[in-house]
Amino acid sequence: MSPFQWILIGVLGATLGGTILATTTRRLAPGTGVLFAILLLVGILATIDPDRVTRIANVVGIQRGADLLLYLLVPATIAGFLAMYVRLRRVRREMTIVVRRLAQIEAEPGGPRKEDGIAGDDSSP
Amino acid sequence: MPADAIQPASGGPVELRDREICAGTWVVVPLYNEASVIADVLHRLRATFPNVVVVDDGSTDGSAEAARPEATWLLRHIVNRGQGAALQTGTEFALSRGAERIAHFDADGQHRVRDLLEMSRLVASGECEICLGDRFADGAEEVPRGRRLLLRAAVLFHRIASGSDLSDVHNGLRVLSRRAAERMEITADRMAHASELVDLVANSNLPVRQVPVRIRYSEYSRGKGQRWTGGFRVLFHYLVGRIFG
Repeated sequence: MSPFQWILIGVLGATLGGTILATTTRRLAPGTGVLFAILLLVGILATIDPDRVTRIANVVGIQRGADLLLYLLVPATIAGFLAMYVRLRRVRREMTIVVRRLAQIEAEPGGPRKEDGIAGDDSSP
Repeated sequence: MPADAIQPASGGPVELRDREICAGTWVVVPLYNEASVIADVLHRLRATFPNVVVVDDGSTDGSAEAARPEATWLLRHIVNRGQGAALQTGTEFALSRGAERIAHFDADGQHRVRDLLEMSRLVASGECEICLGDRFADGAEEVPRGRRLLLRAAVLFHRIASGSDLSDVHNGLRVLSRRAAERMEITADRMAHASELVDLVANSNLPVRQVPVRIRYSEYSRGKGQRWTGGFRVLFHYLVGRIFG
């Protein structure tokens, strides 16, 4: 194996260890943890034995293993972006709720009605 | 008295009724960087409607300070959350204070107080529970051509996407009965709220009426500009909202 493969295996292995730790300590949702672990394991196996990836690619009619990985990476990236976007929307919505609640709690009475001298609203905040 | 305000009558039943209508209609004004015009807009509005809730949406030009003396209530978003978020903030606040009707009125002076009064009368009389301004009903010669095309496209889109038969879907002047306002929660924080409202109106099963209104396209409002890209952004946020909720 080349030095690059060793480095990549090391990085992927460390990430796998971190994922398992985060899942067992419930810092990562079980479903997400298992999905990440499977992806990382596949990545490690593909790095150790690239020819196996090529053979799998051939089975599904793709010439090179690298192409198979690229094709799989595209939908995975899109799905990742979508998941992030949905989460971002949720955070934004929560932020709006907080900002709204604060604005309502700290509502300030304005000035009196100048046109006829009648106060606009005499109810307390 | 501002020219736009209702004229004081001799205290007869009609004027008394109008005063009750105006007092029951809480006007929500979303405000973002309109310091140069907001005091005048609120002054005209408040001469007729005693309950004006201004929601400053994180303005950076001193709009909130300019609005404070003229508003009945001033609410402040500490960070900008968008016009839809500001409208929902003000609507919830007005409902919590016992508003009978909720009106939405733009801060840049485009809307006329007399149109709002007419719409409030219709909702108060029970003719409808949702009253929406329609700038195209009377020809809309004053609407700039580019804007007219964009708005027509939005109408066509909602006719297809929502089955809406509204003829002006992005008019910020609207009056809702208390029941309608309670049912229609705006979740689209930014400009897509107008499109979201079209869906909410269509699904509300409440009587709706469109009323001819005039929009004043002043040098000031034209100067702010309306870009086609803005329309696409609204469309994107609306579609994302429909897909992801």
